[in-house]
Formats: sequence, C-alpha cells, structure tokens
Amino acid sequence: MENKFKILVCIKQVPDTNALVYLNDGIPEYDEKTVYVINRYDEYALEEALQLKDCGLTSYIHAVSVGPHRLQKALRRSLEMGVDEAFHIQSDDDRLHNPYVIAQAITQFAQQNYDIIFTGVMSEDTMNQQTGQLIAAMLGYKHATGVTELSLNNTTITITRELDAQESLMYELHIPCVISVQSSIHKPRYPSLSNVLRARKQEIAIIKQDLITSTGKTKSYFTMPQKTTQCQFIEGSISQKVTELYTILHKNAVL
Amino acid sequence: MSILIIADVKSRTINPSTLEMLSAAKKIAKNNTMPIYILIPFGNIGGDSYCSSEFKTFILDLNIEQYSAHVLVKYISSVIREVNASYIIGMHTPFSIDYIPALSVSINAQCITQIHSLDVAERITVTRGSHAGKLDRHIVINDTPIILTVLPGSFEPYTITDVQTQHITTIHIPEVNKHIYCNFITKDMKDTSLDEADVIVGAGKGIGSRENLNLIYEFAKVFPHSAVAGSRIVCDYGWLPYSKQIGITGKSIAPKVYIACAISGSSQHVAGIKGAKTIIAINKDPYAPIFNVSHYGVVADIFEFIPQFIDFVQNNA
Repeated sequence: MENKFKILVCIKQVPDTNALVYLNDGIPEYDEKTVYVINRYDEYALEEALQLKDCGLTSYIHAVSVGPHRLQKALRRSLEMGVDEAFHIQSDDDRLHNPYVIAQAITQFAQQNYDIIFTGVMSEDTMNQQTGQLIAAMLGYKHATGVTELSLNNTTITITRELDAQESLMYELHIPCVISVQSSIHKPRYPSLSNVLRARKQEIAIIKQDLITSTGKTKSYFTMPQKTTQCQFIEGSISQKVTELYTILHKNAVL
Repeated sequence: MSILIIADVKSRTINPSTLEMLSAAKKIAKNNTMPIYILIPFGNIGGDSYCSSEFKTFILDLNIEQYSAHVLVKYISSVIREVNASYIIGMHTPFSIDYIPALSVSINAQCITQIHSLDVAERITVTRGSHAGKLDRHIVINDTPIILTVLPGSFEPYTITDVQTQHITTIHIPEVNKHIYCNFITKDMKDTSLDEADVIVGAGKGIGSRENLNLIYEFAKVFPHSAVAGSRIVCDYGWLPYSKQIGITGKSIAPKVYIACAISGSSQHVAGIKGAKTIIAINKDPYAPIFNVSHYGVVADIFEFIPQFIDFVQNNA
C-alpha cells in the first residue's frame, strides 16, 4: 500500500465507574475523591489507531479532547500509549456540553486535515452515542459505528459493525471517514516504558476556541433514577438474607 | 407539525420493537391532533404490515443490502421536511443509532438518545439515564424539530388493528445511490443455553477476575435449569465469550429468574433483561442502578453471600 494515513483519535475523560455522584440543589456533583480516566471505549479507539501505526500505515496519530485542565492526564496517557501528538481544546466546564457542541469543536479543530477519525462507540458516563456520527455529518465524511473489525485498502476501509450477539454487517467506506469502535475489537495496550519516558517530555498543545455551550432549545434537570420496579430489599444478617432469598426462589419454583 | 417514526431493523426484517415507538408517538400526539407517519427505510424488510388508516407509511425503495448511513440521511431528511415533522423518533439499537444522530446536522435539530420515558404536559419532557445510570436527566423540549431515540423495551408495543396498504407511499431512490453492497454475517449460534434456562445468573465487572467466575458457576449449579451470562465488560475482558453477553449489543433474555451478581446495571445491560419474570440483584453498592429495575435486592458482597447461599441449599435440599 502506498498511502499513509493521517489519523485523529477523539477521547473523553470520564469519572471512574465507581464514582459517587450527588445532587446538590438539583445540580449533579461528583465526590471530590473521584478519579478521572480515559473513557473505556476511547481506549479501544486509540488501540485501533496504534494497530495501524504498528503496520506502518500511518503518517501520524493525533489525539484530541475537549474540556477542563484535568483531562490533560487522559491526553498524557494517550501519548504514553503511542500517539504522536495531543491537542487539548480548552473549556472550563464540561458539564454543559452536549454531543453537538463537542462535535462542532472537534470539527473546527480537525478541518479537512485527517483521513480517518476514530472515536469510541460511546462514553461511559453520558452514553449519548452520537459524537462520531455528528463529526462525520459536519465534515461531510462517511462514517460507521459499533465497528469490531477493519482493514485498510488504498482509498477505502472495509469495516464490520456489530448489530447484536448474532449478526454483523460488513461493508466498505470511502476515506476520509469517521469510525466509532466497539469494545470487542483489539484489547488496548499498556504503555511501554520507553513511551512513558517519551510522553513525559512531550508538550500537549492548547487550542483555544469559543465553544457554544448551549443550543438554547432544551432545558434539563436531574433527579435520582426512576424505579421501574418496587425493589423489595432483603434485610438482616447475611444468614437471614440467605434464608429469605432461598424462600423467594422456592416460591418462584426454581429451587 | 407531525411525528415521524423511523422503523428499526433486526435480522434483516422490521424489528417488532418499532411498535413501541408508535406508543411513544401516540403519547406525544395527545388527542391525535398531530399526524403520525412511519418511515420504513428499506423495501425488502416486510414493512407492508406497518400501515393503517391511523397513519401514513413511507417506504424507501432501497434493499437492506444497500445500507448506507449517508443515503438514508439524505432521503429521510427530505421526508422530514415534506411532512414537516416536529418529532423524529428512532430506536436506540446498534442498527439505527448508526445514522439517526446524523440527521440532526442536515435538519438542524438536536438529537436526544436513549430516552426511556416521556411525560406530556404543557411541554413534553423526555427522560434518559445520566452519570452512568446513577441519575436520570429530564429534558424539557422547548423547540422543535427534535430527534429522539428510544431505548428498547421502554414502551408497551402498540397494536395495529386495521392493516390498510393503500396508505403506503414508496419513495423512489435513484440508481446512483444503490451501488453499495453490504454483507450480513450471521454467527452460528449453536449455544441456546440462555434461551432454555429457567434461571440465568449474570456476572458483572464486580466479580473482579476470570477465576472468580467459578463462584458464579457454582452458584448457577444450585438451580436445576440454569446458565451463566455476563455484562458487556465481562465479555470484553475475555472472562466470558460474547455469546453469553446480555444487553442491547448482545442477547435479550426471558428466564423465570435472572440473578444479577455484582452488575451495576447500565441501561445497555438492563434493556436485555426486561423479559425476565423476576429480577434479583446482589450488589454491595446499595445505590447501584440495577436495584431500580429489580424485584428483589440483596445488598451484600457476593463473595460473602454466595458461598453461604450454596451451603444453605446443600444442607436443606
């Protein structure tokens, strides 16, 4: 293959899934001990880009993220994994951002400079599952989501999308394109020591943009989750709980 | 003002969950003051029965094997304009989510995904999970058009009583957009254990390691007709094969009893367990979202609770 591809990976920093969240006067706030990490699905996106680099198919891989200062830790991690350069689109408060705003910011940054833009299939915290599709629509690129396999040809990519446990869909996309990867693709790598040392010296480029933080069309508020069932909690000591659950299962005729 | 429903596809035919979107649309339409339209994106997926005097049906003259997000967005956008749709409703499945959010750029409307309920008062409020399911976010819709994707299993399926094919309009798609060829790959699912089991024991990330899965297998063995399954992450870690994954991207199950062990209960997982008659959750975190959809809850460490439960059954059987 003659072509070498210019790659962008979009990453998001999210609270660790164990993080505690509170409603403070209706406004969600994470516990101050919250640990922030790279969104799990974006690690798979990074890995996919790095797999192409390992095969000598990339001219460079850039990573980009939108949000407050703390996400530099996530960008640093992407450099440690093997990304060539990292870009931080600064925005102080990432809580107000919807996927449209993020996609606009990334589109403005990316312009027409990349052949393949990778994203994770969704983020673990908001699960909107639309940033990749929006970036593609804004740039006028082709896209595919839930991608579990891909192979590069000269001007196209053959992708396989996971539909459910039983079915996948395979087709070709023209480059440039946006690929949102699903987690059943290659397992993300641990950074090598040499990459960690290299990443330590690297600068993360700061990008200043005026983000439009609200489209003005919707207003939202938060509550504790709605219960679809009235969960009957089994109380008491462990052995009382064991006896009680046994009785319930016995009544349900499965024991 | 109208409502446009975009039919979903499963196994190369219309996903019957499409009828759930009709119930959501009926709710939005209030006293039937807003007309409802159904768009069937392909001509060869059995869309003919999704028509009635109650609404109009559009069928795109494309084959499912000609799937292209780009082409669908182009033609569905023009249908949206033609019927002046205020609410565009799609299904939150891996098939439909590939293209529905992209409509928001072409029709300049916001897209809100994965809604699980809606409230109709003076304004319409839709609700989706937020903060990894630890909170609900309610969005008050002040302006339309708006695009919504509905989580499967969130609304009762609507029953179409009078099928009337004269209400179908076929939309011609020029040959130039039909050259794409997609290949559907169906995995050989010889493993039917999850379909046949009375009791399914589900393992979540909280089990901690592949070795600890043995505890889950021991637990499942207590029940006569049982099987072990897991959440997506457990399969991603390679602790269980993907054929044992429950959720939107995996299998939907309908056993007598589902026991979720150390599973937090993301909306993606929960969508796959709604068919279970009784849902029991065992989790040490009393705030785990799984308890919001469970009939019985045990707040306990599975490593403490399960061994004692196994002992109890062995001594009492």
